[in-house]
Amino acid sequence: MSAVPSTWAHTRILLRKDLVAEWRTKERLSPMVFFVLLVLLVFNFGFELGGAALWEIGPGVLWTSFVFASLFGLQRTFAAEGANDCLDGLLAAPVERGALYLAKMLGNVLFLLGVELLTLPMFGLFFNLTPGLYLLPLFVVFLLGSASVASIGTLFAAMAGHSRLREFLLPLLVLPMLIPALISCVAATGVILEGGIPGRGTELWPAELTVHVGMLGLFAVVFTTLAWMLFDFVIEE
Amino acid sequence: MISLPMSRILSIVVTLAMLVAVCAVFLYAPTERQMGDVQRIFYFHVSAALSAATAYFLVFLGSVQYLRTRADRWDRFAKVSAELGIAFSAFVLFSGPLWARPIWGVFWRWEPRLTTMLITFTIYVAYLMVRSYGEPGERTQRFAAVVGIVAFVNVPLVHYSINMWAADQQLHPPKVELDPAMLYTKLICYFTFACLFTLLMRLRLQQERQAARLEALSRRTQQ
Repeated sequence: MSAVPSTWAHTRILLRKDLVAEWRTKERLSPMVFFVLLVLLVFNFGFELGGAALWEIGPGVLWTSFVFASLFGLQRTFAAEGANDCLDGLLAAPVERGALYLAKMLGNVLFLLGVELLTLPMFGLFFNLTPGLYLLPLFVVFLLGSASVASIGTLFAAMAGHSRLREFLLPLLVLPMLIPALISCVAATGVILEGGIPGRGTELWPAELTVHVGMLGLFAVVFTTLAWMLFDFVIEE
Repeated sequence: MISLPMSRILSIVVTLAMLVAVCAVFLYAPTERQMGDVQRIFYFHVSAALSAATAYFLVFLGSVQYLRTRADRWDRFAKVSAELGIAFSAFVLFSGPLWARPIWGVFWRWEPRLTTMLITFTIYVAYLMVRSYGEPGERTQRFAAVVGIVAFVNVPLVHYSINMWAADQQLHPPKVELDPAMLYTKLICYFTFACLFTLLMRLRLQQERQAARLEALSRRTQQ
């Protein structure tokens, strides 16, 4: 009997539980999507947006909105387990702690990805984004960006409930630690959006993209592995 | 306890070394040709940056050791190192702009090394906040250790990504061949800061140890 399939099986069951709960309650996705819409509105009044702004500050606006929205979503990672001592039940069950982390982390990735895909059209509308195939690599950036946010976010979310800082703790930890990923996300998105400038060569994968996406992948892999290893120490009771 | 005379010896060494260092920086080291007198701030600036980097490594070491052994002393070790790291980083972030104003013409630029220092500083401030706003006890110590490890692993990534982000902004003076007098001054300053670091570390550890003992005592008397 090898341990790997059982971890993965546990992860799938836990993930399914969270997805079903979300599907029935829509407690996280809808508020997050609405929040991104509001942040985009605020940015619109903070800066005079339009035309050239898309390439100047568009990627920054997009990722700032995503990161702030994700902080709210991450906050809820373990909130549902608080009721009826569900977390204690989970910990008492013969489930590997690592599987719990992976399930929660993958759940966060899916939620963030959902928010990003649902709000991209709004962003496109406000910034007059030209639709086109050149936007396809954005999905890779979204996926790896979400994985980066979720990797450390899920780990720290498990701590937040026990601090007197409560919901303050998560942003204080996540925001500075996320800087390397954020830089890569913004840079990669910038490269992709520039493909929409009329007269630009329509390469599907501009060469400059590789280094930023590589950095993002590195961040996601390093911190998912590290958080997965350290998660035991966070929830051991 | 034998540690008290040791600390006293160390504090005398630090006092003397600091006097020598100040004299060396202002009297012995020659004036730099391009930057002039303001370059002298570098002797302290770089020494403090090295001390801060050492401190952050010690936080990592203390955190790993705490998770392995669960001994309170490693937790105190990590905490004290983080405090020192923040103190020395604050000095770096303060002395940097003082030098930058006459040389770059502005106090602050989003230059890679400066930015890396600032981000690292904020990460370790968050680390101390995890400690000070957590309920005192074993759980907060575990959380802090986890943050201490993640934070240290993040430092090279921060450094690398910021270099990529602002490659054209690289404004720190490149490595140059130093005049022997400058080199000796630099080494004196390194030595002085190393002694200062060790002394502060010892004193804070002593304080923390005594605080822990006091708390254990008062808990025992209450029972």
